[in-house]
Amino acid sequence: MKQKKGFRLRNICGEHVIVAEGIENIDFSKIISMNESSAYLWEKVEGRDFEAEDLCKLLLAEYEVDELTALIDAKAVIKQWTEAGIIE
Amino acid sequence: MPENNSTVIIKQLPNDEFLPHVVALVEEGHTVTLPLRGRSMRPFLEDGRDKALLAAPTDINVGDAVLAEIQPGHYVLHRIIEIIEKQVTLRGDGNLGNEYCRIEDIRAKAIAFYRKGRTKADSVTGLKWRLYSAIWTRLYPIRRYLLFALYPHFPRRWKMRK
Repeated sequence: MKQKKGFRLRNICGEHVIVAEGIENIDFSKIISMNESSAYLWEKVEGRDFEAEDLCKLLLAEYEVDELTALIDAKAVIKQWTEAGIIE
Repeated sequence: MPENNSTVIIKQLPNDEFLPHVVALVEEGHTVTLPLRGRSMRPFLEDGRDKALLAAPTDINVGDAVLAEIQPGHYVLHRIIEIIEKQVTLRGDGNLGNEYCRIEDIRAKAIAFYRKGRTKADSVTGLKWRLYSAIWTRLYPIRRYLLFALYPHFPRRWKMRK
């Protein structure tokens, strides 16, 4: 998987928000916001290919979780990002 | 840990912190769709229902609805009713009083509005907005009564006494 071009993470009033740089219009009535751990992963995988296993490792490095939980969460994140249309 | 983020959550962010980001995006050349709060642009725009499409403030004229920083950190989306030299007078369509700012305090210009949940915008160059604007602004002398007729509210002390 890879981040689609131009989806940059911004901090707006303490919210981690994905703003598409390429698109002309930014619609604040429907915006993708990330929680702390998603935002952390997003920044870490910027500009490189990744799989669930990579996210899992990143989660293990940052949070006190067991490997199974981390892998389940990593897969969930990939599913959510795919649904949101921000990775390919 | 990651949570389900596929749900739609409506978040109200503080204007004085949030709107500078909107302004920054407009300055970068984006247009911004902004959900509107407040009743000051009634009757065309309704609180929590409608959205404005904002663009960079080029070619500012009387009659335009603009996002202006009338005091540091205090933003309004109101209509320009007068420009003299660089002094701008603003008045919300649903308001009776004026606000004042300089032309450089105008941060963005509304170029269209999404109303009543529609996906098609009403452009400010379209007939509907222009017709509404012409009529509503000319009716200013009786606006107080029109607003009362449209949105009746009575001071508590006038309400039926038990």
